[in-house]
Amino acid sequence: MNDNVNETITEETQATPETAATPETNQTQESVLIAGVMHEQDIQKVSAKQNVVKIISKVAVYAFLGFMALVVLFPFYWMLISSVKTLEEYNRQIPTLFPENIVWYNYVEAFKTANLGTLFGNTLYVGLVSTVLSLIITVLSAFAFARLEFKGRDALFGVLLATMMIPGELFTITNYQTVSIFGWLNTFTVLIVPFLVSVFYIYLLKQNFMQIPNELYLAAKIDGTTDIKYLWKVMIPLALPTIISITILKMMGAWNTYIWPRLVANDEAHRLITNGLRNAFTEASGDVNYPVQMAAVAIVSAPLFMVFLFLRKYIMKGVSRSGIKG
Amino acid sequence: MKEFLIKIKFDKWKGWLYLSPAIVLLLVFTGWPIVNTLRMAFLEDYSSLGELSGTVYSFGIGNFSKVLQYKKFLDTLTNTMLLCVLTVPLSTLLALVIAVCLNAIKPLQKFLQTIFFLPYVTNSIAIGMVFAAMFNIIGVHNAAGPETVGIINNILGLFGVEPINWINAGSDYWANIAVLVVYIVWDALPFKILILLGGLQSVNKQYYEAAKIDSTSKLRVFTRITVPLLSPMLAYVVITGFIGGFKEYSSIVGIFGEGMGPAGADGRLNTMVGFIYDALAEQHHGRASAAALILFGIIFIVTMINLYVSKKKTHY
Amino acid sequence: MKVELQNLTKIFPSRNKKSGEEVIAVNDFTFTIPDGKLVGLLGPSGCGKSTTLYMISGLQQPSSGRIFFGDEDVTDLSPENRGIGLVFQNYALYPHMTVKQNILFPLQNLKGKDKMTKQEMLDRALEAAKLVQIDELMDRKPSELSGGQQQRVAIARALVKMPRVLLLDEPLSNLDARLRLQTREEIRRIQKETGITTVFVTHDQEEAMSISDMIVVMKLGVVQQVGKPQEIYDDPTNLFVAKFLGTPPINVFRGKVVMDMLYIGEDPVMKIKGVEDKDVYVAVRPEGFELNPKGKFVCELSNVEVMGRDVSVVSRHEASINPVIRSIINADSGVDATATNVKFSLKPHKVFLFDTETEERIPFEVK
Repeated sequence: MNDNVNETITEETQATPETAATPETNQTQESVLIAGVMHEQDIQKVSAKQNVVKIISKVAVYAFLGFMALVVLFPFYWMLISSVKTLEEYNRQIPTLFPENIVWYNYVEAFKTANLGTLFGNTLYVGLVSTVLSLIITVLSAFAFARLEFKGRDALFGVLLATMMIPGELFTITNYQTVSIFGWLNTFTVLIVPFLVSVFYIYLLKQNFMQIPNELYLAAKIDGTTDIKYLWKVMIPLALPTIISITILKMMGAWNTYIWPRLVANDEAHRLITNGLRNAFTEASGDVNYPVQMAAVAIVSAPLFMVFLFLRKYIMKGVSRSGIKG
Repeated sequence: MKEFLIKIKFDKWKGWLYLSPAIVLLLVFTGWPIVNTLRMAFLEDYSSLGELSGTVYSFGIGNFSKVLQYKKFLDTLTNTMLLCVLTVPLSTLLALVIAVCLNAIKPLQKFLQTIFFLPYVTNSIAIGMVFAAMFNIIGVHNAAGPETVGIINNILGLFGVEPINWINAGSDYWANIAVLVVYIVWDALPFKILILLGGLQSVNKQYYEAAKIDSTSKLRVFTRITVPLLSPMLAYVVITGFIGGFKEYSSIVGIFGEGMGPAGADGRLNTMVGFIYDALAEQHHGRASAAALILFGIIFIVTMINLYVSKKKTHY
Repeated sequence: MKVELQNLTKIFPSRNKKSGEEVIAVNDFTFTIPDGKLVGLLGPSGCGKSTTLYMISGLQQPSSGRIFFGDEDVTDLSPENRGIGLVFQNYALYPHMTVKQNILFPLQNLKGKDKMTKQEMLDRALEAAKLVQIDELMDRKPSELSGGQQQRVAIARALVKMPRVLLLDEPLSNLDARLRLQTREEIRRIQKETGITTVFVTHDQEEAMSISDMIVVMKLGVVQQVGKPQEIYDDPTNLFVAKFLGTPPINVFRGKVVMDMLYIGEDPVMKIKGVEDKDVYVAVRPEGFELNPKGKFVCELSNVEVMGRDVSVVSRHEASINPVIRSIINADSGVDATATNVKFSLKPHKVFLFDTETEERIPFEVK
């Protein structure tokens, strides 16, 4: 619900610069402002001069943004064109900015070299299972914190928030020992279970749940709705944008996670995509077949880009509130 | 009546029931690690393998003093600090300028905003490999000389810069750092732009209109209105930037591989997080725990300093 | 369905654990709501009226006392098993559901022998919607409705289960003045048509008076008076009730009774009997004043507000507890707005005496 408010605010504020930018309205506004002080000829001169300044500064702003956009995009561009070059063309002394003849066999090669099929399957499996389980846990916890009353609730929540301060590396050392003792090394379980609970997601969803008026809960109680049904029929639909954001961030997390999988499940059968990619092309600074490597990177990056294109709104909203990468 | 009593009792426990999965997992994977890390850090030369085979470790602060005297650790500390100090101000400033520019335009705003966000939805290892490709000199091992000095050197060549050995064997430490700074800033921009632009768009336009009526200069508007009103967001991106900076690891793996340095200089670019994982891999659990606690301490102190400064500088 | 409250008490534990003071929200409330009547629980905020309503609904448990619906003791029943409908102050409509889905929602929860087919549910929902005249709006979302329409949807949702008792929590307080008038007539009509025993909570005495069959006036958890609106207005049991009911509010003066003569300040205003000599509060309804050149009650005239049929004479008197005295006089009686003083005589049945200590009513007869 809050999201809607934010959106309208953003749209309104965005509308303002546009009106200010149209020359006609601007001129009249400014003329009115200074008319009392200056003669009419002066006014025309001043406003003409101001227009020139305005245009120049606009051009400068666009030029700067355009340049920065190129800088941001260049690595992606380089990745894509390199992936369709022949090795001979790639290794030329003066690199070509556009491939002379486009070849696709690098992609086939990449798929084979990095065993991308298995990696995709593993990552998708781990991502889906951990997202679903994590959502269930997050929703139940957020509901308990937001709606149920019990002794020690606020104290417990405070303790949970405090743990967010601690860097994850501190947990990794012990968790590695723990999962070894559990016999979970080189299983999918080890990639899923230890990170199912995210205090931050619980916090995010709890805040969202709390915006839903308590009267809805009481009304549902009078209608004989069970807690679970209320959660399912009322709270989840109302908090859907947040839940989608969490889902995407969690999936992105599975896609990007590197350190933990390398530590606990680095065997062929359970390797995840990032890890597998780095593994397949270990010689980073030697003379490797870069077109193939770039093709592999392109394949790995593609799903994230697709998700981003379709769900841009949820990702950007989720990220702006989270401040954590994937 | 009995049924009613049972219901009341259940209501009292319902909250805990809903929380039970989260609590169990948190106890095992968050609560116990906190306790255990403290324990391991204060047991001399602790290793969990040793403990399993019956070795008894004595209490002491040896792990900390050893870590702090360890040249390897001090090097990782230097690397980490250096990257923080170089990348956080640079990326924040650049993000601020881009955000302000984006806020000033209307056509193409959404489009450009999306482009600037793109690096966020990438895998830092994967794109690190792209950066490595761009900076790489191909054929350094070739006696006949390089086949290509790479696209970056070629572009710089247009401005008359001699080819630089950025990341290959025999490259200079500072050249490595420069590449890392470029990559980390590129990687950090999207988040900062998103937050700052969000902040700018929520600033009440009336302040700007009032300033316009007072015919305040553009620069003055920026320093006296925009920056102060944006100070909470600036503080936020600086703090998260420092926290992320101190945990830097995978961008280096992306560019240099797990060797954490150019060929022939393995480990030269290692960071604190890397140090912790190396100690873990070598079964030095006590040392790894001590290093993790030191990392936590540094992050905590830097965050507190940042909060203190921004509280003094934040204008509302 | 008659609703019987027996010695209903609700004690909230203190928020401040150290002081350990408990808050008695409702204290020993005994009252029977006759079948098919509309009863208003009236009182200032914090008087326990909402707590009482929530206890009837089952959302809150009484600390002691029993609640009966008819002959059935429902005290230990959970809300959904009591057969009640509750309309919340902010309507509590589910924002993501259409009007139809909102009204259907309670029916979909019915289990066992009460379970209905889809068609039955739709019929019932339409029936309820027609009753509150929103059957045209069935496919809209709550955000597309006006406040008054949302209120009707909330009532339809509460009625659709055919509850034994309908409970309304401040049903009109979120509406603007004009809608409030319209909606309260609407509530009255719906209640009459369905004949459901209805309890509603309000802090607005005018609202309570205008639609209730009976009013319960509460203060700090204690019932002050129960009765028909007019009875309470004409015959308040204590100063609080007298002050709480009526617009403009009742005028209260410091006075005394000396040898069967009632004085306001030092002005002898009325000969009475049956009251021993003592200081009293004299309360006079605004319509209890009559212009009388020979009147003994002399006030300093401030101004005269024309209201059409009536005029409101605003004046001052040193014995008045209210800052000004407001009296409603027929416009034909010819008030001289320029005069410095105005002389009144009082209508005895509009005058009440209260004890200065207990603020309880002191009965008197006119001599």
